[in-house]
Amino acid sequence: MNEYIGIAASFLLAGVITGAMVILASTLGKKNPSTVKSEPFECGKDPFSLPGGKLAIKFYLTAILFVLFDVELVFLYPWAVIYRELGVVGLVEMGIFLGILMVGYVYAWGSGALKWQ
Amino acid sequence: MNIAISDLALIVPELILTGTALVLLLAAGRIQAPSPIAAVTVLAALAAGVVSYWPLPDGPVTGFEKMIAVDDYSRFFKVLIASALAVATLLSVSRTDAERVRPAEYHALLLLASTGMMFAAGALDLLTLYLSLELTTLCSYILVGITVEKPASNEAAIKYFLTGSFASALLLYGIALTYGVTGGKTDFERIAQALSESSSGSHPILLVAISLLGAGLAFKVAAVPFHAWAPDAYQGASAPVAAFLAAASKAAGLAALGRVTLIAFESEAGILSVVLSGLAALSMVVGSLIALSQTDLKRLLAYSSIAHAGYALLGFIAGEAGATMTYAFLYVFMTLGAFGVVIALGERGETLDGYQGLAAQRPRAAALMLLFLLSLTGIPPTAGFAAKFVVILSVIRAGNVPLAVLAVVCSVISAFVYLRVAVLMYMQEPAEPEPSPWPKAVSAAVAVAALVTVIGGIFPGSLTSWAVAPDPALSIIGAR
Repeated sequence: MNEYIGIAASFLLAGVITGAMVILASTLGKKNPSTVKSEPFECGKDPFSLPGGKLAIKFYLTAILFVLFDVELVFLYPWAVIYRELGVVGLVEMGIFLGILMVGYVYAWGSGALKWQ
Repeated sequence: MNIAISDLALIVPELILTGTALVLLLAAGRIQAPSPIAAVTVLAALAAGVVSYWPLPDGPVTGFEKMIAVDDYSRFFKVLIASALAVATLLSVSRTDAERVRPAEYHALLLLASTGMMFAAGALDLLTLYLSLELTTLCSYILVGITVEKPASNEAAIKYFLTGSFASALLLYGIALTYGVTGGKTDFERIAQALSESSSGSHPILLVAISLLGAGLAFKVAAVPFHAWAPDAYQGASAPVAAFLAAASKAAGLAALGRVTLIAFESEAGILSVVLSGLAALSMVVGSLIALSQTDLKRLLAYSSIAHAGYALLGFIAGEAGATMTYAFLYVFMTLGAFGVVIALGERGETLDGYQGLAAQRPRAAALMLLFLLSLTGIPPTAGFAAKFVVILSVIRAGNVPLAVLAVVCSVISAFVYLRVAVLMYMQEPAEPEPSPWPKAVSAAVAVAALVTVIGGIFPGSLTSWAVAPDPALSIIGAR
């Protein structure tokens, strides 16, 4: 039973943090509703329309960048699990991995991929 | 788990290329001139080539938990890939400027693609192999589509990407099934062990696994019937990119195929030889025949590269990896040379009609093109003859005479393809104004290719005598 307590705790923590963010944002945040903001998905495209015409590329770019840097977490998890066994070598290798990712980040930043216009 | 930092010493060539690519990406915003970036890339390629050539003090070794090997086989292919990278970079100097390609990104992608190819040459595990090939192809997709202003380039990149992803999936399915059949093995030595020990040799799933792996790898070397991407990708891509794909990408695919067929599935040589014979025969016939009707030089060279994939496979069918390696080495330089002349002639070089009367206007360019065409045909005393001689001899020694005869017949057909260009150059009146003088970098690259083509033909074996098959016992010797 004991091993499930950890899982339950992390579920609880995740629920509290996300819940708190949603509640705080909806109670304390400023609200300026507009037609576009009230759409079910704010994705740069009319949710109910036939395909065709132009699509704002900036949404796509932001999403793909998010996925890119999100996937790195997949590699951090197993490393965190066997962190002690890998020791300094593991730390150095993770440093190299994150360093390479940072080069990509700096490049994306430098080439204006993060600008919203 | 204990990965030693000292293992990093085994991948110094790859580290050089990756490091250079990262530096280029960081400096991408500041440097816009293509020449210094190309110079850095060539230097990195040369450094990687020299380090790869240097034998390790304590013989062949494995590293990273037997994930990669540094043996004579991988050294040979790494040197070949590094030199192809250097030559292709020189070829692209004038083009990156003219086609408004961002130079830093372009060269970083070339470097990263080459890194993947080098890892593929040394991979000792199906997963390492898959990752390295993915690195190569992902960079190749972008390289094909890097001339964003040309619609043909975008179309080629999409076609290449869709078929390429499909082939990657097939390869991955093959790996998964192999993992299942062998009871959870992905590294070549243990796969071979598991297959030879058990009676799973006749297992139907193993047959499917081998076919899927074969299909995925055949796509990388563009062997028929997995060749359809090559003509479109080469035609749409900028000519230097096409040259790089035709040369280095093919060499890396052969390197991967060699270790998989000769080490991992060594006990299944019977099935493999049937599969590879089919691929080789189809590639030679289809490549030579379809090349006959091409009027676009890049498409013609694409079909030529398909046919040459077939010839190169003959060595693996005979079980003589050395023959295929010799073929790959000499083919890389002759095809880079032919593409070099196409690139040097600019717009005019890309269509067949552009070669009318070239000999009268530019005798040296015509002579060089003739040299590469003769070599691609396989006429002595060029390197192409030595290369074809070695692979055809190897299948005859293995007792597969019909395949040898087919190879000779296809060579005769392809002679018509290549010599048609020669006839246009020497026996027609010039139809177009004189081409502009060659950029120095392109001249240097073509000169290197011509030198290898001549030396490889006059002194066969002098350049490729160190081509040796991968050592099946490597993992045991190199246990460290």
